[in-house]
Amino acid sequence: MTARDTARVTLVVFAFIVVQQTLMLDIRIGGVHPDIMVLLPMAAGLVGGPGRGATMGFGSGLVADCLLPTPFGLSAFIGTLIGFGVGLATVALDRSSWWLPTVAALVASVLYEVFYALLGSILGQPQMLHVGVTRTALLVAVCNAVLAVPAVRMVGWALPKVSTEGMPTSMAGSLR
Amino acid sequence: MAKLRRSRRPRTTLLILLLASITIITLDARGGLGRVTSGVKSVAADSFAPIRSGVNDIVEPMGSFLAGSVHYGAVRQQNQKLQQQIRQLQQQRARSAQTEQSLQQLSAVLHLPYIGNLQTVPAEVIDYESSNFAATIGISVGRDDGVQYNMPVVASGGLVGRVVQANHHTATVRLISDGASLVDVLYGTPGAYAAVTGEGSGKPLSAGLVPINTPLSVGELFVTSGLNGAIFPPNIPVARVTGSKTGVSATEESVTLQPLADLTNLRYVSVVLWDPASP
Repeated sequence: MTARDTARVTLVVFAFIVVQQTLMLDIRIGGVHPDIMVLLPMAAGLVGGPGRGATMGFGSGLVADCLLPTPFGLSAFIGTLIGFGVGLATVALDRSSWWLPTVAALVASVLYEVFYALLGSILGQPQMLHVGVTRTALLVAVCNAVLAVPAVRMVGWALPKVSTEGMPTSMAGSLR
Repeated sequence: MAKLRRSRRPRTTLLILLLASITIITLDARGGLGRVTSGVKSVAADSFAPIRSGVNDIVEPMGSFLAGSVHYGAVRQQNQKLQQQIRQLQQQRARSAQTEQSLQQLSAVLHLPYIGNLQTVPAEVIDYESSNFAATIGISVGRDDGVQYNMPVVASGGLVGRVVQANHHTATVRLISDGASLVDVLYGTPGAYAAVTGEGSGKPLSAGLVPINTPLSVGELFVTSGLNGAIFPPNIPVARVTGSKTGVSATEESVTLQPLADLTNLRYVSVVLWDPASP
């Protein structure tokens, strides 16, 4: 990644955290607010492959952890897994499909919220399983599905467009 | 035929990042990184407070404008003007009502009858539940105002929670409705001890350590016990009983309570400058 890419990624992460901590905290649907930070690893995995998805998940997760009351490092851990998972799961798919960001956002958001609550409870925060995980996961997933396309475009603007990372080398070679 | 061989780099990246995350989580949980993470969180919160405030200042008028223009349609120009005027008047009235409510809350937190001679610092609630998984609020005062970790936070009805992170100019308060909250309380006459725990945002509180068949009436008051070394000073109203039942093979009464402070509509609170070590 060039210095320009790094600056762009930093800008996108900053924009997401500002929107999350201002606009999104004011929106409450059934007591749940949207969590757009999940979109960053998902979009990075989709645009840049598993490695970049994991890196984005780790970085954006650590930034989010600085402003969350939950265990420090938890968002980074789950974000890493989600970014890598999305990158790996979509490696053989046509990443330019119109439906892919929406579906990926739905699945990634549900997994993110469920794992977040489960791991949080394992790490000594049992109350994280008492907050209506299913409702939280579904509401966050629907909101993120709506915002998935612009999020992928923003991350796509920040990251290099085409990546063959994680693909079988025979396939990657044919794309170069 | 080309041999299928996956690149190892993403997996190495994944392993390194997962190990780094686990290390951070473990060190933070064990207290090894406690000061560092607390410091980082404090700096982040202090740096972010003006950004949040600035963005809210910009976004709120835009939101009001958009909300006001949503229902514009095929009405005539004169009607549009009249509707706009009506809307402006309604907004003014709503703002006045909101201001009045804020004033009432502020006035209430400045005159808390149960606080006695304890010093308090009034604060505005600047952030409500930043995570879906924790019942916390952000308040507009911090270490520079004398606020310290673990200090009690109260509002007009009673106990709100305690400070779990004190930054320079802001602080994070864990509400008593949070699942990790535990308050030592006193109830009944002459007074028996119990522990009130949260069950999550918007849910009733529950009381533990209440012996079975304890005669509890609906509306009975639970106040902080102020036991030696307790986080909370004595006699702060916490909650009222809304129901109790004895399970078939239960060893203690199952008691549900309603917090006395309106935890879902907090605008102003007071931090009690209380040090448990020097009551």
